[in-house]
Amino acid sequence: MSEIFFEIQKGFFTASEKNKVNNVNLNIKNQGEIVSLLGPSGIGKTTILRTIAGLQKLSKGKIKLRDKTLASDEIHIEPEKRNIALSFQDNSLFPNYKVIDNINFGKKRSNGHGPSINEKEIIKILRIEPILEKFPHQISAGEAQRVSLARSLMSKPDLLLLDEPFSNIDQSLKEEIQVSVKKLLKRINLTTIIVTHDSYEAFSMADKCGIILNQQLKQYDIPYNVHHEPNSIDVANFLNKGIFIDVQVVDSECAVHRLKHDELGEIRGKLSNNFPSGSKVKLLLQPEDLIHDDQSKLKLEVVDRKFKGTNFIYTLRTKKGEHLPVFVHSHHIHQHEKSEQFGIKSPIYIDHLVCF
Amino acid sequence: MTKYNVWFFSSLLIATIVSLPIITVFFSFFNETSGYFGILKDTFLFDYIFNSIIILFFVIIITFFIGVLSAYFVSFYDFPFSNFFNWALILAFAIPGYIYAFSIIAFFENYGTAFSILTYLFGENNYNLIIPKLDGIKGAILAISFSLFPYVYVLTRASFYYQSSNYIEVGKNLGLSSKETFFKIILPSARPAIIAGLALVSMECLSDFGTVSFFSVNTLTTGIYNSWLSFDDLNTANQISFILLFFILLLFSIEIYSRKEARYHQPGRGYKPITKIKLSGKKTIVPLAICLLIFFVSFIFPVSQMIYWTLKFPKYFNDLNILDINLNTLLLVLLASLFIVIISLFINYGSRISKSKILNYLTNFSISGYAIPGVILAVAFITFFSNLSDFLTEIFNFKSSKSIFIGSIFGLILAYFIRFFSLSFNGIKSSYEKINNSIDESAYLLGYSKTKTFLKIHVPYLKTNVILVMLLISLEVIKELPITLILRPFNFETFATQAYIYASQDLLEAAALPSLFLIFWSSILILLSSKYILSNKN
Repeated sequence: MSEIFFEIQKGFFTASEKNKVNNVNLNIKNQGEIVSLLGPSGIGKTTILRTIAGLQKLSKGKIKLRDKTLASDEIHIEPEKRNIALSFQDNSLFPNYKVIDNINFGKKRSNGHGPSINEKEIIKILRIEPILEKFPHQISAGEAQRVSLARSLMSKPDLLLLDEPFSNIDQSLKEEIQVSVKKLLKRINLTTIIVTHDSYEAFSMADKCGIILNQQLKQYDIPYNVHHEPNSIDVANFLNKGIFIDVQVVDSECAVHRLKHDELGEIRGKLSNNFPSGSKVKLLLQPEDLIHDDQSKLKLEVVDRKFKGTNFIYTLRTKKGEHLPVFVHSHHIHQHEKSEQFGIKSPIYIDHLVCF
Repeated sequence: MTKYNVWFFSSLLIATIVSLPIITVFFSFFNETSGYFGILKDTFLFDYIFNSIIILFFVIIITFFIGVLSAYFVSFYDFPFSNFFNWALILAFAIPGYIYAFSIIAFFENYGTAFSILTYLFGENNYNLIIPKLDGIKGAILAISFSLFPYVYVLTRASFYYQSSNYIEVGKNLGLSSKETFFKIILPSARPAIIAGLALVSMECLSDFGTVSFFSVNTLTTGIYNSWLSFDDLNTANQISFILLFFILLLFSIEIYSRKEARYHQPGRGYKPITKIKLSGKKTIVPLAICLLIFFVSFIFPVSQMIYWTLKFPKYFNDLNILDINLNTLLLVLLASLFIVIISLFINYGSRISKSKILNYLTNFSISGYAIPGVILAVAFITFFSNLSDFLTEIFNFKSSKSIFIGSIFGLILAYFIRFFSLSFNGIKSSYEKINNSIDESAYLLGYSKTKTFLKIHVPYLKTNVILVMLLISLEVIKELPITLILRPFNFETFATQAYIYASQDLLEAAALPSLFLIFWSSILILLSSKYILSNKN
């Protein structure tokens, strides 16, 4: 008897020649965990959800929920018998029923034995009281998404699948709803898989985050690790948080590892992967890694400055032509214009040295 | 990947049945004939073609003017009774061409109604000389035009209705006068709808049998009918059908093409309905007068003529078993509409859940039935089932199976099915397509089985449209003449056949009562369905 709540073993998911994900191994150990799947649009994330729900057949492999096999080479349990709820990205509300009746459709599910939930509470959390008596064509796309989510929740599923659940919701409301939905999911202990292309959403909602790139599940880890220790250049590039610079490993044996860059000089920190001293590697440099210091002798030329609200992102150029991003808090007293020299605190210290 | 399941085979069966007439006509073209076709070719055949084309030409011109003009007035202007005309002009659909033809003859003939009116007003005189004689081709053109113009009116009006006032405002903003706005913006953007309407008019016009036959104009349809009835030569009939089908299919493709184009003109986001221009005083005269005239000529005139005659010759009340004919019509309407709608639902559902491409082609093929004129369909129907029955007798020594299909209610319903399947299939399909696929999937995920999803989600959603389709089929069945005339069981009359038989026996006065009943039921059906169409818009 396995203790794993949900498991995909060597799963092959195919929607079309282009749109497929191969050889996925993913498990959710405990009931109530929230997992996010992050990846660019059109990569096959939705295909995975549809296959888990049973709307598409698994090409190869096995999907198990508790001890029951949902899909394998021989088995395909029909979607209506899986007790898995999927909240679609596009509007899938029944057009001839009012919002409240749509939500009740979920409630009437006969074989629901997942965690039960208070209808009034979910309506309140998702802010749908004002539209209960309206028909689907009278509400906005964001409202429709929330109703669809409510309907899925009401069906007491064992597993909840959310496909870009907040993509149409106003920015101002989005974060608030994300927080309260996460709280709710945790409280009723409902296992959830969220598909999204928004890394903020993926990191903040989930206990574990899977990155899907090039038809593969590249990394599956807790969000902190995914962010700070991407396990491949592809993942780092996708998360798009920084750039890679060429460095040489000087010392990888001591407690503090040391790297050397031609212009930036010594860079200290802890290597996430081990490299022998002397090897030439690429180091991921993220905007928060470099610290601004006017007194520093290490100076680079400013080529661009973007105002991002809470901070500026300066782009600095090395003599070799590398463009380095640097965050500076926007309360910072003075600003640097293009082609000015910009000081960087040296020696540079970076907690996680992500190198490949 | 196509699964050869129940949906595939039923779609295949339906497609085969619906294409029977076309296949029969096609094969008959290469068959031996009695030699009558040869004679015909040397004598009347070109007259048939010529007459058909002349009538078609004028009908297109007249319906274009009447249809577009009336649609323009009621869509863009607010004048006294404009809301009334909005739906009242559709009532002309209630009057089939042949009944309009009876009214024309009744009114303009020597000592006819016009004569009586003039005598009543101005005293005795020989008015016959000054009353125009609208018979023959002239009469046919008028009768067909006034019974068919609603096609142009309805489609053009719908296109005007969905025209965003943004375009018109932009036009004005760019400095166009109202006249320029109409010719440069409004009319061109309604063009696909107008062409689709005219193509429908043309198809119906070429298919018309009752009107031309009543006016004794020899066209391709009467040619087919006469070859069958007078010369008992099914092959010749089918060969003339081949020629007619050629024209019809040409028009059919134009219609399909312009419909596709019309779809691009559907409103997107930012659509703003037109604000009608309120007219007052003298400006109301022109639109009011024109709409009133069209409504009067197309509807009031034939109806009052029929009422006048019914009252004037009450003795025919007793000759006619009104109750029987009502029941016969009701029987046909109920059987046909239920049968056709149920099968359309079934096939629609099948092609929805099996998502097979071949299935799509098959169903697309089955909708060609509506393009086949009733006369061709009936004659090809007889040809096919006679041959089939001969074949069965020869091979299996079956007793004649002819009577199962020819001259039976079952055969009649089957023929209606071939003709009206596309109407019903497309009607249901259009609203089925609006149900997003993820809606079905949501229902499955909420634990609803396929059957339950169909009953709880699809059926309630399709209900309005199904009722509308049933109303339209009923309307078509009531008005249908040639199929019913040729395939009905012996002594089984509908209003259409009864009226036509009286009229062809020169008992026009007697035809008034069944005609009036036909108009009455048709008007009710039109009013009911227009109510549904209007409520759909909200």
